[in-house]
Amino acid sequence: MTPDDRSPSEQDELDELSGLSRRSFLKGAGGGVVAGALAGGLAQPSTSEGVVPQEASAPGASTVSLSGRHQIALQVNGEQVLVDVEPQTTLLGALRHHVSPPMTGTKEVCDRGSCGACTVIVDGRPVYSCMQLADDMPGHAIRTIEGIGTPDDLSPVQEEFCRFDGLMCGFCTPGFIVASTACLEKHGAPDVDTIKRELSGNVCRCGTQTHIIRAVQAAGESGVLKGER
Amino acid sequence: MTSARNRPEWGSNDTHALLNSDIPRVDGPEKVTGRAIYTHDIRLPQMVYARLVVCPYPRAKIKSQSYRKARKVPGVVHGAPFKEVGDSIAFQGADGVVGAIVAETPEAAAAGLCGVKIDYEVLEPVVTPEDALAPGAPVVGRRGNVTGLSSSGDRAEVEAALSECAAVVRGTFRVPVQHHVSLETHGVVVDYRGGNEATVYFSTQGVTGSNREFASHLDLPSENVRVVAHNVGGGFGAKFGGGIEGRIACELALELRRPVHLMLTREDEFLMAGNRSGSEQRVIAGASRDGVFKALAVEADRHGGVGRGALPTPPYIYSVGNTYSEIRSVHTATDSSRAMRAPGHPQASFAMESVLDELAYGINMDPVEFRKKNLADPVYHRQLDRVAKEIGWLEHPHRTQPGVPENALAVGIGFGVAIWGSRSRDITVVDVRIGPDGSVLAATGVQDIGQGARTLVAAIVAEELGLAAHEVSTDIGDSRLPPSVASGGSVTTGSLGPSVKDGAFNARVELAKRIAPMLDAEPEEIRFADHRVFVEGDSGRSVSWKQACASLGKDPLQVSGRFQPHLRDQGIHGAQAAKVEVDLLTGRVTVLKMVSIQDQGLPLNRMAIRSQMNGGMIQALSFALFEERVLDKKTGLMLSGNLENYKIAGCGEMPELVAIIDDEDTREAVMGMAEASNIPGHSAIGNAIYNACGLRLREMPFTPARVLQAKGGMS
Ligand code: FES
Ligand code: FES
Repeated sequence: MTPDDRSPSEQDELDELSGLSRRSFLKGAGGGVVAGALAGGLAQPSTSEGVVPQEASAPGASTVSLSGRHQIALQVNGEQVLVDVEPQTTLLGALRHHVSPPMTGTKEVCDRGSCGACTVIVDGRPVYSCMQLADDMPGHAIRTIEGIGTPDDLSPVQEEFCRFDGLMCGFCTPGFIVASTACLEKHGAPDVDTIKRELSGNVCRCGTQTHIIRAVQAAGESGVLKGER
Repeated sequence: MTSARNRPEWGSNDTHALLNSDIPRVDGPEKVTGRAIYTHDIRLPQMVYARLVVCPYPRAKIKSQSYRKARKVPGVVHGAPFKEVGDSIAFQGADGVVGAIVAETPEAAAAGLCGVKIDYEVLEPVVTPEDALAPGAPVVGRRGNVTGLSSSGDRAEVEAALSECAAVVRGTFRVPVQHHVSLETHGVVVDYRGGNEATVYFSTQGVTGSNREFASHLDLPSENVRVVAHNVGGGFGAKFGGGIEGRIACELALELRRPVHLMLTREDEFLMAGNRSGSEQRVIAGASRDGVFKALAVEADRHGGVGRGALPTPPYIYSVGNTYSEIRSVHTATDSSRAMRAPGHPQASFAMESVLDELAYGINMDPVEFRKKNLADPVYHRQLDRVAKEIGWLEHPHRTQPGVPENALAVGIGFGVAIWGSRSRDITVVDVRIGPDGSVLAATGVQDIGQGARTLVAAIVAEELGLAAHEVSTDIGDSRLPPSVASGGSVTTGSLGPSVKDGAFNARVELAKRIAPMLDAEPEEIRFADHRVFVEGDSGRSVSWKQACASLGKDPLQVSGRFQPHLRDQGIHGAQAAKVEVDLLTGRVTVLKMVSIQDQGLPLNRMAIRSQMNGGMIQALSFALFEERVLDKKTGLMLSGNLENYKIAGCGEMPELVAIIDDEDTREAVMGMAEASNIPGHSAIGNAIYNACGLRLREMPFTPARVLQAKGGMS
């Protein structure tokens, strides 16, 4: 069945099913700002500081289509990536399922902004990628775990995670590494309270938090700047 | 140890070259860079995504249902019910899975789910034990709402003993249902495209043998089904069999002949992936004036939903003169409990450590002294003394009576102890291969669920051959590899370690035989250390590791290792202390510091053990202060169904944690310790609250509301 076969009312209903609820929810809640603030552990109510200036300045944002699959260009880890998405596709979904090859380092745990496993850096700030619509992302610089060090060439904070055993099962780890990288880039050599606050949007069930805090502290103190390669 | 003997020995715990030190995880670099692939991350050509249609009500009847609209959503390839109109749902969880949607993308599957229309007749939910016990309540358990009653001891004797006690305490202790919250949800990717073979990627704690379960679902010979779990995002006891999601994924793959990705959503996970059973324990306990625990009577209900629940028979750990107990399961129409890190023990610990504490204060005795007086095993004495010292108990101002806070903030300290069997199984086989290029590979089916199994395998082999842990490659998490154990009940270390050691030992002995003529020595004289192979007492006669391996010619050296019972032991203890601050105005409890000490024989990887201890303390803190499954009594709907309303402790709540490895345990044998470290922390926190301000909280979690309620009841 092609879209033309359907009666208008049926098409409307199907559009509705295709996740417009998430779309309107995220739009309504100013998802970018809320997520960014939570990932950073800061409760900033201001919307003027949003990581993702939505329709206004984002090229592409003004021309998003509201239904069907379409292609957008994302800037991920310094490279332009063309990706087919649907209106309800989140940045997390785009990374994990639609870019090719898929970027599965960013994890999905709650899919609603309460665990931090999906943290990426957008224009320098940590953001929950499950709370961002992919369609709002063109024009923004996205950094994911894949852009922070490789197994043979770890970033300073990744090295400290290994040294202090800041990981067990490892499922929360990419989110923590990204949030820690953003924290170090913002604060240089953060103290323990700052680290706790900046990482309070990430959860770990295995219980690695105290080792993580020590690793981030060590990475800050070592002075090798800020998780930059 | 690389001394030549005719059977492998660990040797004295303080003479290891690599083991018993801090060994960074060999898979750390993969995990910190997001390169480690978990089941969630499997992407295959032609793969489709399945979502389950889950009834949110515990008990209901399907009045009507339609998948028509769902099937029309672009991208949806399949949508069908498992139940008919008129069928009922008997309990929340597996029985609530009423259909499935399969689509080309996760978005289309989610949209398809929104298109499923089901009209339910909602039946009386029966989600609280009170409702299950009410006269005329609908029967929700297979054999009634109350099952498994067992009793032990003589009630009359206990009552007689109680009548002679100087201090008698009575209390009802309530522990809520807790969720595992593995960050990777349950699920599988079934790669079946028709034909006679399949590969199943499976987030599991037990790889070996799990191919049989999937083979039966797929109707294939079990040797044609391979199960892979290279990395597992946590399990904590809930991830053994494939569950209903595993069976459904197989059925869908059979029907569609395409790889099916079926991972539970977080909401599904809370509804149907198991939990730690709750409990209600009604306790009467008595002690003599000189601090002897004389009598204990416990009536307890296990709250395991449609499952049995878990609770050890009292008395728990402590010696008590006379004990009477009566335990039963009270069933509600909720998801079955599953094993969770030390099943039943944290629940028992809470009631037992709390009454013990009350008795101690009741006779004006230091609760540490009271504990020691009623614990026969001297290991507990040294462990309690150690944590007491480390937490600052000796300088603490109020040790035999709770503090009387001068302002709103009160600080207190509490204690608890642990016990675990740490048994092992004898089935693990480890293949070790040394290549002429100097490469070493150790292979066995075991899974790394975060406990560090991969690192343990590499490190044991590396030490034996004089290498570094990262120089030994490992191949694990695959049902086609030599068998190993399921990781549950702290059995991995004790079951795996001896087989790895045996394999490493055999590899070393075999290599020594080949090298000996080259060095003009007897094989027994050959030693391995620091990347060199040399003759004992004559380091001049030596070759490098690479040269030694090159002498193998073109064929690698291959040996196997098997379980060696003398290399493992069992039976561990453990003690913990917690220091808290109670804000009596807001009711908020802040944990300031926790100390844990743990014995485990030879500590193979000290850093991984400290991580396990931290994990135990953090999970206990989280359990103590935050965690509770909440169901609406009227509708049965889950109100705590995602991480924003089922809170677990985060970085902001982290106290100072001190993890002490008990090196006075000199057993030259290995055993697991993860369960024990998860047992007493929340009890210690509850006792610390009492020590701070005299409020005895008998219901978990210790929320501000409960603190204020207890305070109101006092004044
Ligand atoms: S998956 Fe995005 S915050 Fe949990
Ligand atoms: S390491 Fe397992 S959840 Fe954090």
